Amino acid sequence: MTTLTSALYHAAFYADMVLTVGSACVVAFSKNIVRSAFSLLLTFVGVAGLYGFLEADFLVATQLLIYVGGILVLLLFAVMLTHRISNIKASNETSFSALAALAATGIFLVLVEVGTKTHWDVKGGPLGESTRPIGLLLMGDYLLPFEVAAMILLAALIGAAYLARNAIRK
Amino acid sequence: MSPTALALVQDLRLFLPEVILVLTTLLVIVLDVTPVRKSHRALLYLTFCGLLLSGIYLLRHYVDLRESGGRASSSNVLLFGNSIALDPFAVYFKGLFLLVGLLTGVLSIRYKKLNPAGEGEYCVLLLCSTLGLFLMVGSRTLLMAYLGLELVSIPSFVLAGFQRDSRLSNEAALKYTIYGAIASGIMLYGMSLLFGLAGSLDFAAIRHALEGQTELRASPLLLSVSMLMILAGFGYKIACVPFHMWCPDVYEGAPTPITAFLSVGPKAAGFGVILRFFYQSLSTHSGGGDWTPIVDQLQWPIVLSVLSVATMTVGNLAAVAQTSLKRLMAYSSIAHAGYLLMGVVVLSKDGIFAILFYLAVYVFMNFGAFLFVVFLHDLVGSEDIEGCRGLGWRAPFPCIAMAICLFSLTGLPPLGGFIGKFYLFLGVIGRELYWLAILGVLNSVVSLVYYARVVKAMFLENIPRGEAEPLPVPFFYSAAFAVLVAPILLLGVYWAPLVKLARYSSSIFGA
Repeated sequence: MTTLTSALYHAAFYADMVLTVGSACVVAFSKNIVRSAFSLLLTFVGVAGLYGFLEADFLVATQLLIYVGGILVLLLFAVMLTHRISNIKASNETSFSALAALAATGIFLVLVEVGTKTHWDVKGGPLGESTRPIGLLLMGDYLLPFEVAAMILLAALIGAAYLARNAIRK
Repeated sequence: MSPTALALVQDLRLFLPEVILVLTTLLVIVLDVTPVRKSHRALLYLTFCGLLLSGIYLLRHYVDLRESGGRASSSNVLLFGNSIALDPFAVYFKGLFLLVGLLTGVLSIRYKKLNPAGEGEYCVLLLCSTLGLFLMVGSRTLLMAYLGLELVSIPSFVLAGFQRDSRLSNEAALKYTIYGAIASGIMLYGMSLLFGLAGSLDFAAIRHALEGQTELRASPLLLSVSMLMILAGFGYKIACVPFHMWCPDVYEGAPTPITAFLSVGPKAAGFGVILRFFYQSLSTHSGGGDWTPIVDQLQWPIVLSVLSVATMTVGNLAAVAQTSLKRLMAYSSIAHAGYLLMGVVVLSKDGIFAILFYLAVYVFMNFGAFLFVVFLHDLVGSEDIEGCRGLGWRAPFPCIAMAICLFSLTGLPPLGGFIGKFYLFLGVIGRELYWLAILGVLNSVVSLVYYARVVKAMFLENIPRGEAEPLPVPFFYSAAFAVLVAPILLLGVYWAPLVKLARYSSSIFGA
């Protein structure tokens, strides 16, 4: 890699990190739940970028399709359809902020220590395209987890339909 | 067919109890939406049939395992690319879960608050949750343990809030969901840390990785952090301190049959997963049915013994002040998670055996107590201790049954609960953890205070004026109480068969 592309690569990486962490801070600290929900969009995109830097092409696609395209839109619908959500006093209330800050800092420091001091089991070399191998694994060794996930979704769907059903007929 | 596909099909034959549960689920869904007129509770009875059929196939697996000597070397015992183990340990737990599923259904028959229009959904969610319990105790990888746990959790979130018009039930569902989501998230973080260290999701492979590489032993911090995080997920399922906060509110708000289900099913499955994970990944089998922690700096048994004492103490002390029977039982179930944790920390086959034995008795004691809550609500319209006043003279049989369940929960002889606790304490004393045993016994004494309070209200307190007539007890309740109490009494005097079964079942895969 030439110096210029290397520099650009690093710049892109740090820009992505600033985007992710910055928008995550807005999600956590904003008093306005609509603003939190919209910042979550940038967080999800930033995480997709992080997967890109790790050369996990399949994860980038799923992150964008499922989190940005699906879950976030759902979340926004929920926020917008909830009756006068921003008027509710307790919507994003912060309490025990000093204690929470202390605990969060402590956990953060421990995780940094863990992340930097551990000999991770790194599989070297570029991964190449990952979609095909993932698909084969899901139909082979990981068939059972794949099917169990289907059962979880079925249960969630039926449960959600029951809870959301307007009036009970019969 | 490719070799993989062939292996999968072969594995499927050893997976029939689970397959039957799935098929029953689908059948209930289809029948629920077809416009055929169904008699009252028809789908519930169909669910019973599915559970019983699954039990027949489970029994066949048990017989097959027995005949092959339950050998860990037998190649047929690991299913689906090593993600599921079929060993006596798993089969024992699955038998308990089928019993739990059936008893939950029985309790639901007479539970009036249950919405008849939601019967199909109720059965589907109950079956899915039972399937999740099956997968949890069979899991041999972090991935399956997580998926099993979610398959238990997500249906139970809805079941806890099944009475949509009840504020308490809604609150229960919401609290359970929020706590559950956070616990899962923390657990996944811990699992990913462990995966990063070991490079595998498989319990045994994690152990090999930890044993094999010497420089890994220098990262006890990472191991402790990931272990504690994973414990947050499992601890939430068994409701041990400090992951117990959801328990009283959820137990109080959920429909009573579901409360009974939650107090036994997920708790037992949580212990199954904890035993597998801690014994197979974080311990070395040192022969003779004993284990030692894999890394010297990570003395997880000490962490768990502290949690055990904290759990039983918090549970018992908080239970003393309760007035609602369901909240009282919630704290009692927290305390029992503490007692059962004593069996985990001893790191021996005796400990596993004691847990298995106790859980079997616990199913009957807890369902007996919750059946009484259903009974009380059905006939007196109350779920409080206040509602039991003088009931002992108006409806003697249910009250005596309840008293037996409560005394057995305390651990008084000559009842099944005493034998169970005896084995738990025996394991602890065998490991010379005398302080733990003493604190456990002290806790049992405290628990007598609140259990006896209920019995006192039933038998020794004056009947409220104008309610002195005997209460006609429907046959359903008499029969159900008899079925639940008989094993408790029987196991108090003749416990050898269950001991034999639990001893045999305490062989986890690979040990």
